[in-house]
Amino acid sequence: MNPDRQDDYLERVKAEIRLEAEAARERAPLPRRDPPPRAAKAAVADGIERERLDYAIGELTGPHYIAFVDHVFRAILKRPPDDAGATLQLRLLAAGAPKAEVIGNLRWSPEGRRVGTRVRGLLPRYALAKLARVPVLGYALQWSLAFAGLPLLLRHQRAADTSTAAGFTAVADAQRDNVRRFDEAQAAHQALSAEHDRRSDELRGEIRRLQLRVDDLEQRAARLEDRAHALELRSDSLEGRAGAVAHELVDLRHYVHAANHWVASLQRSLAELEDVAANERERADAFAAALPENPSSAAVRRDRHAEWSAALAQHLPPSARVLDLGSGDGAWLAALAARGLDASGVEANAHLLERAPQARIAQGDPAATLVRCADADLDAISLGVDAFVGAESARIDALHHARRALKPDGWLALRCEREPYRLGEGGDLDAARWSAWLVAAGFRAPEILRDGDAALVLARRTADESARA
Amino acid sequence: MLVPGLAPHDAVSNDTLGMTRALRAQGHEVVVFAPHARGVDEPIRAPAEIESWLQSPADAIVYHYCVGWDFALALFGRTRARRVLRYHNITPPEFFAEWSDGYVAACAEGRGQLDAYAALNCELYLGCSPYNLDDFLARGVDPRRCALLPPFHEVEQLRSLAPSAGRLPRGEPLLLMVGRLAPNKAHVDLIDALAALRAMGADAAHLLSAGKLDPNLSRYGEALEQHLHRRDVEDAVTLMQDANGAELRAAYERADALVMLSRHEGFCVPLIEAMALGTPVIARASSAIPWTLGEAGLLFDEADPHTIAAAVLRVQRDAALREHLRAAGRARYASTFAPAVLERDLATALTQVAAR
Repeated sequence: MNPDRQDDYLERVKAEIRLEAEAARERAPLPRRDPPPRAAKAAVADGIERERLDYAIGELTGPHYIAFVDHVFRAILKRPPDDAGATLQLRLLAAGAPKAEVIGNLRWSPEGRRVGTRVRGLLPRYALAKLARVPVLGYALQWSLAFAGLPLLLRHQRAADTSTAAGFTAVADAQRDNVRRFDEAQAAHQALSAEHDRRSDELRGEIRRLQLRVDDLEQRAARLEDRAHALELRSDSLEGRAGAVAHELVDLRHYVHAANHWVASLQRSLAELEDVAANERERADAFAAALPENPSSAAVRRDRHAEWSAALAQHLPPSARVLDLGSGDGAWLAALAARGLDASGVEANAHLLERAPQARIAQGDPAATLVRCADADLDAISLGVDAFVGAESARIDALHHARRALKPDGWLALRCEREPYRLGEGGDLDAARWSAWLVAAGFRAPEILRDGDAALVLARRTADESARA
Repeated sequence: MLVPGLAPHDAVSNDTLGMTRALRAQGHEVVVFAPHARGVDEPIRAPAEIESWLQSPADAIVYHYCVGWDFALALFGRTRARRVLRYHNITPPEFFAEWSDGYVAACAEGRGQLDAYAALNCELYLGCSPYNLDDFLARGVDPRRCALLPPFHEVEQLRSLAPSAGRLPRGEPLLLMVGRLAPNKAHVDLIDALAALRAMGADAAHLLSAGKLDPNLSRYGEALEQHLHRRDVEDAVTLMQDANGAELRAAYERADALVMLSRHEGFCVPLIEAMALGTPVIARASSAIPWTLGEAGLLFDEADPHTIAAAVLRVQRDAALREHLRAAGRARYASTFAPAVLERDLATALTQVAAR
C-alpha cells in the first residue's frame, strides 16, 4: 500500500467513523445527571450551588439591597459579584428599579446566557420592567398599572402601615431588650473589671515575688562568681607551685644522674682495685710456687691432709665423686685420691698447676666451674676458701651452688690453710660467720677440724627443703 | 547540558540524559548542570559552576528550555560558548486560568522569555517538533539556525520490561490515556467520549488514565471527579497515579487504543510509546500531535465525544484497521524516533553548531 493509498484508506475510515458518530449522536445522546449531592455540599463553601440551574423568582427576591445583589450573582452567574457589576445593579435598585429587572439583566447578559440558569416567572416581570423604561409609553404604562392597581396599592399601604407600626413596636421591644442586655453586659463588664483588677494585683504581687527571687538569684550568682574567681586564683597558685615542683624534679633528676655517674665511677674504681688485688695474689702465688717448700712444712701438710681426707672419706661411699675447687699445688687432691675417691680439681693459678703432678687438675675459674655443675651430681665438693675471696655475696652464692650440685646427704669441705686466709675469731674467715652461712645455705651445722691456724670445715647437705627455708 | 531539574520518568530529564549519553558516545565531554535532581544515575553539578567549567568559545551549552529560568537566560546573554537552545515548549497559561494562579504565573513567565531567547540569535534552536520551532520562526529566528530533533526517550527500556497487569482494569474496549492530570490534557473530553461509548452500547468500556495529579491542581482533580459523576461513569474510570514501568507496559498491551485528546503538546512521548509497543492511537489533531503521530493513527480535528467513541469501537472491531495502525506506528517509530535515528540526527544538528 503506497502512502497516498494509505492516506486515502485512513481518510475513508475516518469518514465512516464520522458517519457512525453522527448516527450515534442522534440515537444515543450523552447522558447527563442531575447535580450530584456532593456538588451541593461543595457549594456550601462559597455560597454557590454550581450544579443548580433552576429557580423560582421568589427564591431570589427575598433578600434586600447588597444581600440581594450578592445572592442573585451567585445564583444566576454562579460566581461572587465583581465590584463593577455589583455597583451597577445597586445603582439601579437605588434608582427605583424593580428586583426583576436586576435579575433579568444578569440572566440575559452574555455571561448569564452561557450559564443558562432558569428563573421561573422572571420573563413577564422583566419584560414589564423593560417596557416601563420606554419613553412616554412606559410612563403611560406605569400610570395605567398604578391606576389599575390603586385599590391593591391602598391595601398594601394599609398593610405596610400596620407592618410598620408592628415593626416600630418590635423595634421598641428590641430597644428595651437591648437596654436590658446592655445593663447586664455593663454589670458583667464591671464584674470582669473587678476580677481583672484583682487578678492584676495578684499578678503584680507575683511579679514582685519573682523580682525578689531574681534579685536573690543575682546575689547568689555574684557570690558564685566571687568563689569562682577565688578558685581561679588558687588554681593559678597551684599551677605556680606545680611549676616549681616540676623544676625541682628536673634538678633532682640531674642529681640522680650525677649520683649514677658517681656510683658507676666507684664501681670501676673497685673493679680496678680488685684487679690489682688479684694481680697481687697471682704474683704472690707465683712467688710462693717459685720458692722450694720447707721439708718440715711439707710433712706437716701431708699429715694434715691424710687426717682430713680420712675424716671426709668416712662420710662418703667408696669411689665417691669429689670435685676440688682451688686445688693449689694438688697435694690435697692427691690425699683424696689416695683414699680411693674419684677426685678431680680446678685451679686458676697456672704457677701452682705447674707444681701439681696430678693430671686431674684442670685450669679454670673455680666459681664458674661450680655454677656449671649439674644438680645433685657430686658426692662431695671441696672448696679452697682462698679461691672465693671477695664479697660476701659471692661466697654465699658459692655455698648455694654447692648445695645444688651435691647429692642429698652429700658433703661440703671448706679448706682454710694458706696465708692470709686463716679461720679465726674476728678474722676475715670467721668460723661463726661461715657456720651461719652454711646453715642458711641448706647445710647442717658444720664440723670443724683444726690444725693450728689451718682448718677443715665439714658440712652435710640437708635433704629437707623446708629445713633450709 | 543545563536543565532546570532532573527526575525519573520525566520527558525533559530523559531527553537530557539520553542526549548526554549520545554525545559522550560521539566523543564529546559532557557534564550535566542542574539546580536539583533526584533519582537519576548521573553526576550533577551546580549551575553556578558552569562558567568555570567552560574553557573555550568552541565549547557548547545545551539548555533544555521548558520553564522560565532567569539564570539560564542571563547565562545565554553573556557566555562566549556556543549556545544550543533545546526547546520542549511550555503550556500556555490560559489552560490553568481557572485552576491555579501559580501555574498561570509560571507558564506565563516561561513563555514570556521566548522573545528574549529569539533575540539572542543562538547558534542553534533545537526543537522537539516543528510545532515547537514555529514559536521561534514566528519571532523572526533565522530558519538556518533551527533544527528538528525529537526527544530522547526511554521507550526501549519500557519495551524490555516484563508486563505487570495485576492492578490493571479490564474493559471492552479499554481506552488508555498516559499523561499527568492537567487541564491541557483534556481528560474531560476523554470522559465525555467514554460516556458516549457507553451510550452507544459499550457498557463494559473502561478508561485507564496513567498519570499524576499535581497537588497544586487539586481543584482540577475535584472538577474531574464531579464530571465523572455527572456523566455517570465513575465506575468505568481508573485513575492510576502510581503506575510503574511494568504496569505501563502492560497497559499499552491490554488497551484497545491510546486515546490522546490533549489540547497542547510540545511533542507527546506517549504517542511514540504506543507506536513502538503496537497500540493503536486515536488523537486530537492539536499542537505537535499531528507531526508526532504522522499517518500512524486516527487523527481528528475535533474531539467530539461520539466521533472519538465511534473511532474506538471501529478500532476494536476492525482487525484490519488495527493491524494497519500498528504496522504504521512501528514503521514511524523505527524511521523517526528510534534511538539510532535520534543519535544520527543529533550529530547532524551539531554540525550546524560546529560551523558557527
